[in-house]
Amino acid sequence: MPPSEHLSKQYDSDLEDIRSRVLQMGGLVEAQILAAIECFTSGDHDRMAQVSENEFRVNAYEVEIDDLCIHVVAKRQPTAGDLRLIMGISKAVTDLERMGDEAEKIVRMAGHIHERRGLQIPRSAEVRRSGDMAVAQLRRALDAMARLDPDEAEQIIGEDVLIDGEFRNILRQLITFMMEDPRTISTALEITWIAKAIERIGDHVKNIAEQVIYIVRGTDVRHISKELKRFGGPAEQDS
Amino acid sequence: MGSAWSALLLRLAVVGLLAALTGAWFGAGAGWATASLALLLLLALHTHQLWRLQRWLKRPDSQSVPDAWGAWGDVFFEIYRLLRQEAKARERILADLEVFSQAAEASPDGLVILDADDHILWCNRVAEQQLGLRGERDIGLLVTNLIRLPRLAELIARSSEGQSLQYRPPDRKGTVYSIEAIRFGKDRKLLIGFDVTQSERVETLRRDFVANVSHELRTPLTVIAGFIEHIVTEPEPDPEDTRDQLGIMSEQVSRMLRLVDDLLTLSRLESETQALREDEFDVRDLVYEIAADGRSLSAGRHSITCEVQPALLKGSRDELHSAFSNLLSNAVRYTPDGGRIVLYWEVKDGKGVFSVEDSGIGIAEEHLPRLTERFYRVDRGRSRESGGTGLGLSIVKHVLLRHQAGLEIDSVPGAGSTFRAIFPSWRVTPPQA
Repeated sequence: MPPSEHLSKQYDSDLEDIRSRVLQMGGLVEAQILAAIECFTSGDHDRMAQVSENEFRVNAYEVEIDDLCIHVVAKRQPTAGDLRLIMGISKAVTDLERMGDEAEKIVRMAGHIHERRGLQIPRSAEVRRSGDMAVAQLRRALDAMARLDPDEAEQIIGEDVLIDGEFRNILRQLITFMMEDPRTISTALEITWIAKAIERIGDHVKNIAEQVIYIVRGTDVRHISKELKRFGGPAEQDS
Repeated sequence: MGSAWSALLLRLAVVGLLAALTGAWFGAGAGWATASLALLLLLALHTHQLWRLQRWLKRPDSQSVPDAWGAWGDVFFEIYRLLRQEAKARERILADLEVFSQAAEASPDGLVILDADDHILWCNRVAEQQLGLRGERDIGLLVTNLIRLPRLAELIARSSEGQSLQYRPPDRKGTVYSIEAIRFGKDRKLLIGFDVTQSERVETLRRDFVANVSHELRTPLTVIAGFIEHIVTEPEPDPEDTRDQLGIMSEQVSRMLRLVDDLLTLSRLESETQALREDEFDVRDLVYEIAADGRSLSAGRHSITCEVQPALLKGSRDELHSAFSNLLSNAVRYTPDGGRIVLYWEVKDGKGVFSVEDSGIGIAEEHLPRLTERFYRVDRGRSRESGGTGLGLSIVKHVLLRHQAGLEIDSVPGAGSTFRAIFPSWRVTPPQA
């Protein structure tokens, strides 16, 4: 979408500034998650410290963008598409910040695992794969936000089940390990936390994609599938 | 002043004269009336022309240039000429522009033009592919929104020459682009993306090579240095021990010599600017020679036999000698005592095939593609203890490349390997039947 034309040029540039900041924040979160998964496989201590340290930058972004959003609402009283953009972005920011927290959690768990005795359960490949999937999804969701492309966003929402499936797979394998050898239980539990964090990242990505659809089309697609199941009828949505 | 203008003046003069005559004859009132009437008529005619001009200018085209009298004709023609010049100039500029945009499109580097606020104005197809942009759709978007590298924003903000950024596209592992930002015109910026995957890979290879060579030379040097230190510091060395130590040292020195020799051979083969010597020779003699060398290396631990056809081969005998004997010495090294090694030279489908078959330890399949890399070792400890330099197969590969020949390796772990050098038919003279 080319920047909308308002009488006030400043208004346009305020809106664009907010959007580009969210995407910069997204880029940072993406790097954080990638680094966190890297830490889990390599056990690199310096890298872990770096991820934990960068976490404050993610939080700073959240505070700053929220502040910008409130200022625009107060000063310009946005309506229609502009209002949806502001609302959608301020929700997406929350999701991004939570993803940053999940990345930090992964690093913490990886630290515990490597501190004790390194990886004894060869499950890192699966975790890595599901992590790469989640990061790729996040990247696509951010692209969809930059291009305001609701079709892409719809696709991303549909593909979240893949990450969920991956999580269940990892869980099943870990259970087998734990039953065979009780000594692996503590490590396996920590790997479960990591896998769960990745699965949560996938859910947050889905939320961002839903916000993209809301911004462009003005339709709320959250919890639609649940409604469908409950009432057994198609939920008509204008687009 | 053109004739059209004289005609206009003449017409006015005629009107004036007519009015003066009428005035003289019928009185001043009639004179003025005639003058006004004539002038009105002229005005009406000119107004008509003006209207035609205006109508034509709305859609000027060469077919319908109004045919007008007097000075009006000149005006129409002048305007038409200007329009045509303009159209030609525009065509020329468009053609030039087309050439430029084609050239930019043909560039092997990715190009993205940004405006003052970093919105994408244009990008070529290479850039689309490198950076994952979507051509038309992404025009007008902020480039930093699409490529969310924190360092890219810095790079663009600085936009000075000599600064670049390594970009690894997330969806293609191993590919590396170097992105530069250059300021041009008024506030415009140009992003250039080069594919540096290859040079990056070469750089890694070079680093590995230097590290490997240093390591290979260091190992024997450490041994020698240790013994020398011992001999120097020992006040009364036992002559028996010293002799043993000197023996080991001489072994290590010859190992280093072998390594340096192999390195020199390899570098000569790689930088060979001279044409290949094209002797035509009987491969049988060469195979017998090599087999004799092999037997002395094996010292009776293996049975080495030859099965050869009387076919001639064109190529450098010296280089092939070193390639073939490298293949055989590998077979001797990696075949347990009592094993069997067979050398073949035969013509198959017109192609010359030299092969070394052994009943050795074999090579697992995953190692096969990397076997000819310098210093690549399947089993680090084992190959060094058997005295290899890690360069043998690299030399073989290079020699064969210079002979347009291919190397095939079949191997079953535990059962043995066959190394085959296959020469193109034009290098081979098959045995006369």
